[in-house]
Amino acid sequence: MTEKPAIKVEKLVKRFGANTVLSGIDLVVPRGQVTCLIGPSGSGKSTLLRCIAFLEEANEGLIEINGEPLGFTSGEYGERNRLPAAQIQKVRSHIGMVFQQFNLWPHMTALGNVAEALVTVRGMPRKAAEERAMAQLSNVGLSARAGHYPSELSGGQQQRVAIARALALDPDIMLFDEPTSSLDPELTGEVLNVMRELAQSGMTMLVVTHEIGFAASVGSKIVFLDHGEKIVEGRPDEVFGKPRHERIDQFLDTYLDRGAATLL
Amino acid sequence: MSWKLFWLLVEASRLTIILSAVSISLGFVLASLVCAAVMSGNRAARAAGRLFVSFFRGTPLLVQLLLIYYLLPQIGLNVPSEVAAIVGMSLCTAAYQAEILRGGFVSVPRGLIEAANMCGFSPAATFRRIRLPIAVQLTIPALTSEAIMMLKSSSLVSVVGVIELTRMAQDLAASTYRPLELYAAAGFVYLVINIVVAGLGLGLEKRMSWGRL
Amino acid sequence: MTFDLDLIISFLPDILRALGVTILLWIVGSALGILVGFVIAVLRRYGPRGLDLALLAPVELIRGTPFLVQIFLLYYGGPFIGLSLDSVTAGLVGLTIYGAAYYSELWRSGFNAIPRGHIEAAQCVGLNRRQTLKRIILPEMTMLLLPSMVNMTILMLKETAILSIISVPELTLAVSALGTKYYAFVEGFAILALVYWALVEACSAMGRYAERRLSKYRFAAT
Ligand SMILES: Nc1ncnc2c1ncn2[C@@H]1O[C@H](COP(=O)(O)OP(=O)(O)OP(=O)(O)O)[C@@H](O)[C@H]1O
Ligand SMILES: [Mg+2]
Repeated sequence: MTEKPAIKVEKLVKRFGANTVLSGIDLVVPRGQVTCLIGPSGSGKSTLLRCIAFLEEANEGLIEINGEPLGFTSGEYGERNRLPAAQIQKVRSHIGMVFQQFNLWPHMTALGNVAEALVTVRGMPRKAAEERAMAQLSNVGLSARAGHYPSELSGGQQQRVAIARALALDPDIMLFDEPTSSLDPELTGEVLNVMRELAQSGMTMLVVTHEIGFAASVGSKIVFLDHGEKIVEGRPDEVFGKPRHERIDQFLDTYLDRGAATLL
Repeated sequence: MSWKLFWLLVEASRLTIILSAVSISLGFVLASLVCAAVMSGNRAARAAGRLFVSFFRGTPLLVQLLLIYYLLPQIGLNVPSEVAAIVGMSLCTAAYQAEILRGGFVSVPRGLIEAANMCGFSPAATFRRIRLPIAVQLTIPALTSEAIMMLKSSSLVSVVGVIELTRMAQDLAASTYRPLELYAAAGFVYLVINIVVAGLGLGLEKRMSWGRL
Repeated sequence: MTFDLDLIISFLPDILRALGVTILLWIVGSALGILVGFVIAVLRRYGPRGLDLALLAPVELIRGTPFLVQIFLLYYGGPFIGLSLDSVTAGLVGLTIYGAAYYSELWRSGFNAIPRGHIEAAQCVGLNRRQTLKRIILPEMTMLLLPSMVNMTILMLKETAILSIISVPELTLAVSALGTKYYAFVEGFAILALVYWALVEACSAMGRYAERRLSKYRFAAT
């Protein structure tokens, strides 16, 4: 099982009506590493991530998580067969997801957010769940804020609670969709630090980000998406180093300030 | 106006409050069902729910009350006019409350539900732990307004012979020839009741508020 | 249950006349309510603080009491303070006052919802106060308030039925009278409900159409 990649995506196609957002993506996310997904706005990064989380159903193609098919298997004649909901939930339980908008439940405290699934889904007693949640919160440096409601926390703190909430369920793969895009620069740092520590602990991560510095320093693999296609894939030095693919050059010029681009 | 007359109004307002409270509660139960129908995957149920909401919001409560008052005996249900009043008021407020509830559920941000999906919540658990509490909190102000609306609308059941606050004022005005004082006093009693309800609503809102979404 | 369509048809002229009264009361009452409501809202927002408080009381009094009680007070209580109105006038005045209170609150919410920045931006490009009101505030507010104004106007139609209780010769009264005469209440009220329902649906359809047409004025997503 260990030789199987954490995530394997094959010929994934996703359409919204007549709009083809992903046109045949192949992707392998190796275990224990950080893979960063970059690309211009609207290129389909979020859609790809949401397909991998099964929040969105792809129209064609297959996804495997730890070697197990997610949602669909390919049949004898190449057709896709839908798997039962329980199977989908089981495969999905390997994945934790962190959203750009945090998506903390506003009617629960930070501690409640982290403990909730342990109680409701895993059936743990509330007290044990809260102990475990507390440990997760202190891992992200927020034990002092456990009793606060999301509306009483800064964006950076909310996002760290969201990370703790995902980690509490012991996933072996973490998906991040632009986790720092709605944060001020000062708050971005604290979230990126938590992610860095997580990467060092050997977590398999797939990160959609515009933080090229983070991608270059923490990512083992960079995947560049444009118009729903994978354009470039490789180690950060291969992707960002010169000579660069012309689209990457354009992307760095257009979407980032030149200062950041020349740092690389 | 004597205290005795005023006290008669206050006593009659008991029925106003009871009729309204019962109708609002029954209406809420019915509204939950209608809301479930409107939001369900079943096309027939959706259509039926929408038709119900459209009809009871699209016709005057007075006409609904008159229709029900005369319809019930024709289909063999000889019930007291208080019951006819409750049936009419419940149906009407159910339509409004169903729309309010639907609005609440629709306003629960999708991301919160997706987060629950990612944490492995079953649809039932997502409903119970996430969608319902948030929707309820979002709808409290609108439900309070609807309760006040119903308290005021309950004055219409005076037409089908229920001796509640308005009808009592009417009867007393006719016998004492003092409509000015009696209707003003009746209005005052309604106002006090509504202020209390509004206050309760605000209290509830505050108690359930954990800040904004 | 005998569904006597012939009966209805033979009284069609009466019913149509009553329908005309209903629609007239509705349109005139709503229009006056919207107008008076606007004046109240402007006075409360731009007038002296004392005026705001002085207007708050009547608005809340109207909003806190049943329309029926207000109508009774006006129609039966009015003569005692020298205000003898016939039923139609009392109905129209009552409807206007009632509507004005609610519409004024809608206008106020509209004024409050327009970001200060939009007004400042207008002044920066050199629009004077009147131009700002005409070119910026009113168009933005129309779009913002349209759905709630349509809702309130639909409520006004339904409230006209209450005027039958003080014998305003409108639709509900006409149908009730027929019902009494021929003991055909159920048929009459059923058809009556359908007529109101059709009017309400037509009104909300018009509202939706206007909303689509005006959607270019909608706030840009922020
Ligand atoms: N639910 C949806 N319905 C219709 N179209 C959608 C939906 N979600 C995304 N799209 C479209 O799919 C395309 C890709 O969107 P996606 O959100 O995946 O881009 P992205 O790469 O994440 O961009 P960004 O960097 O702005 O987040 C866009 O053109 C978008 O309009
Ligand atoms: Mg995105």
